[in-house]
Amino acid sequence: MDRINDIFIKLGQLDRRYIFLLIALSVLIPLMKPNWVNIPIKTTNNTEIVFNEINNLKEGDKVLVSFEYGASTKPEIHPMSVAVLQHLFSKGVKVYTVPLWPEGLMMAKYAIKEVVESKLFNIIEHSDYVSLPYKAGGEIVIRGIATDIRSIFTQDVNNVLFDEIPMMKGIKSVADFDFVFDLSAGVPGNAEWVQFACDEYKVPLSSGCTSIMVTDAIPYVESGQIRGILAGMPGAAEYEQMVYKYLNDLDANKFINKEAAIIPGKATSRMSAQSIAHVLMVIFIVFGNISYYLLRRRNN
Amino acid sequence: MYEMIGVWCVVLLTLSIFSYLYGDNPFYKAAEHAFVGVSAGYIFTITFWDTIRPNLFGRLFPEAIGAGFEFDGTYIFPLILGVFMLFRLSKKYDWLSRISIAYIVGIMAGLKFYVFLNSNLLTQIKSSTVNLSGTYFTIINEVIILIGVISGLVYFFFSKEHTGVIGKISRIGVYFLMIKFGASFGFAVMGRISLLIGRFEELIEFSKPEYYYSTPAVLLFMIVAIGYWAFRENNSPIQD
Repeated sequence: MDRINDIFIKLGQLDRRYIFLLIALSVLIPLMKPNWVNIPIKTTNNTEIVFNEINNLKEGDKVLVSFEYGASTKPEIHPMSVAVLQHLFSKGVKVYTVPLWPEGLMMAKYAIKEVVESKLFNIIEHSDYVSLPYKAGGEIVIRGIATDIRSIFTQDVNNVLFDEIPMMKGIKSVADFDFVFDLSAGVPGNAEWVQFACDEYKVPLSSGCTSIMVTDAIPYVESGQIRGILAGMPGAAEYEQMVYKYLNDLDANKFINKEAAIIPGKATSRMSAQSIAHVLMVIFIVFGNISYYLLRRRNN
Repeated sequence: MYEMIGVWCVVLLTLSIFSYLYGDNPFYKAAEHAFVGVSAGYIFTITFWDTIRPNLFGRLFPEAIGAGFEFDGTYIFPLILGVFMLFRLSKKYDWLSRISIAYIVGIMAGLKFYVFLNSNLLTQIKSSTVNLSGTYFTIINEVIILIGVISGLVYFFFSKEHTGVIGKISRIGVYFLMIKFGASFGFAVMGRISLLIGRFEELIEFSKPEYYYSTPAVLLFMIVAIGYWAFRENNSPIQD
């Protein structure tokens, strides 16, 4: 028994660099050999709510998509962005992107570019989507969009004046949008959209956010202030799968070019690596706790 | 050509940051400094061209800027407050920057007070009530939330000693808080692993021949360089 205890105590004192190595391998191997591990993905209630909310939008509805993430959180949020844009364009919804983070400008550009280059949708800038430029100020910008968007924005990202953009006709405040979708990795993020715009002006809001933000956002989801949430990479993978199935099942219509290939998103392929790493983390936590307990008992 | 340079930079900087797992080293330091510098430069540039120029100068000099705004003389005040902020760099006049900071704090406090009261307090209190017309499952869920809210609030109630009934309720509050912290930790781990997956995916992609095996090449170079650096450190005379 003492021998087993010794092993556990030694495991608890393992050099952290071995743990880094094991985590790296647990992520690297499933990514390099995806066929070795194939874990099925089940959709959760919050993801289904987001999907249904977007699916209930009608042709010509106006949706504001807010980009509040950057390169550091791109692996988690970007697959959501692409899937959300695909879903919106497949319904003939008018999309307005706004970055509230400096890097959000690039992320919005990349997401739109990815969707346009897929040639899956018959979309034209200024007719089907418009990209707003970055404005510094965070919550103040959200408040400006909520009260008078033209007090902050007068041009799109390419410096084209709103008066020359047909899509911007009649857009004065957040109340003129039918839905807001927030893609956030911090502050300003979904909490600020709830507080400074959507609650007061009764505009439906859904969000996709990083895993670390989920526990802070859940109270808003439970109260219905945020309608469903895409929680980190698993949320992205679930939503991607739902959109992929939806696009495949969809009959050809004027919004979709069915001759173009429908490619599954990136989050789904990443989930095996995520799951293996989680199992390893659980094992580390269990071993660490046993080791700590045995060490404390021995010292006493 | 430029794309290839970008790819090699991505690989070098990613591996440089990862090298911190081995220990502090010149690659990590260089990547960290480059990140700080590039971020500051990017944010300054984008803020100037996308916000200060159109939104401030566009209202003060509408003809010259042509951002679609009309002339508004009141924007001279934000300009003055903005200039005051720059006086933080001066030891003699840094008190001027406090006027700008006071303005920002005042505006934010006023705005936050209202929105927090509306969205976080009133709506959350409303959603904490138990709806008895729901299903058994939702009623049980809502009762658990209500117990969590009350016991959590009691835990942070410091005007009375946590003994007796108060002590027991606050103890329940502690358990709820621990569950919340555990969930937050779990989500934090998930987030970090997701970021690692993102980086590894790119490193795997850039290992391909079309990128001239940039990942293995840079990795090998860094291992040799860090090895040499560690060898030199170990053999250097200890200085007082």
